[in-house]
Amino acid sequence: MERTAVGPPDGVIVQAVLSGDVEQYAVLVRRYQDRYARYATRMLGSVDAAEDAVQDALVRAYDQLARCRDPNNFAGWFFLILRNRCFAERRRDQRFAALDGVPDVPAEENTEASLERSERGRGIERALQTLTPEQREVFVLKHMEELSYEEIAGRVGTTVAALKMRMHRAYDRLRELLEEMQ
Amino acid sequence: MSREFHPLVKQLLDGERTLSSLPPELQAEAEEAVRLLGAMDRRDVTFSSGLEARVMQEVRQHAAARRVRANTDPVLWRWLTAPSVPPWVVGAVAAAAIIALVIWRPGSANDPVAVAPATAVAPESVFVKFILFAAAAKRVTLAGTFNRWDAGATPLARAGDEGVWTVTLGLPVGQHQYAFVVDGQRWVVDPAAPTVDDGFGRKNSVVSVSLGLGRVM
Repeated sequence: MERTAVGPPDGVIVQAVLSGDVEQYAVLVRRYQDRYARYATRMLGSVDAAEDAVQDALVRAYDQLARCRDPNNFAGWFFLILRNRCFAERRRDQRFAALDGVPDVPAEENTEASLERSERGRGIERALQTLTPEQREVFVLKHMEELSYEEIAGRVGTTVAALKMRMHRAYDRLRELLEEMQ
Repeated sequence: MSREFHPLVKQLLDGERTLSSLPPELQAEAEEAVRLLGAMDRRDVTFSSGLEARVMQEVRQHAAARRVRANTDPVLWRWLTAPSVPPWVVGAVAAAAIIALVIWRPGSANDPVAVAPATAVAPESVFVKFILFAAAAKRVTLAGTFNRWDAGATPLARAGDEGVWTVTLGLPVGQHQYAFVVDGQRWVVDPAAPTVDDGFGRKNSVVSVSLGLGRVM
């Protein structure tokens, strides 16, 4: 999830925007609109919902830009806004907790070799949507974004021990759900 | 039959063990767990090409609304009063804050212009006086929903030599969130006001402005 930005540092752009150069905000939009796309999609179970969440989070970040205490870490601050948006939506919309919806994730190429993997992958995607937001988040960040427990702890503001507990419960829950689906 | 993975298998999934380090009786369970993770879809997701345009359209609208709001507020001055001034201490700075809310009519003898900012206020608005005691502060500003959280837009003025900072704003009837910003860095809630979670793990103060709360000056 950490990628090197080309161009001025985030802090310089944030200061320019705060000084009135609104158009400079487009640089931050281009820089971060896709960075957390996979995270938001897996958290919300839908590319469309994820895109709406990222759009809302980017606008909210602009509205509250003066509250970004470390402009050079705009990425981390923006992630927290997006995370909050994803959690709020999940808690508001309990429909996602049901197993009857297949998440709208990009379709995999339908080759014979990928069929079994796709089937299992879709099962995991459905099962992921039944985890609590906290369990799902740690699973997505560790196994899809490939962050370490220490990196996740720093990002979401909790301890490694707490994250491992969530993750281990998620493993058990996923196993249970996948067996029920078979 | 338990559906929980064995703790050693969970350590394998966490990347803290290798498959070959597990005892033979756990090999089948471990292989099942590894297959589970291996089937996950890790491909990147890319949003539509119009996302940037939509975001910037909203951002421009918000920026324009902010400018209009700063320049075109009409005039009806009201001022409500508030209660006490509790002490507040952070580090070496003893600070406290109150909000003074008093309904006020234009042209009255108790004209508050001396403490009011130059901007006019909207009809059915109320003058709200924000006061912060921060003796060691060199600069205090006010940021809130009423100025789009712009920490540079609303400075408080030092009143006297005792560390009292004040500003008076005309706020529309309704609920507003805010915080003081001391020396451009420290965000301070108002201890005299209720707070709400700001969504980022911190608190904002809240003032509910109602015409019924005030007294006519």
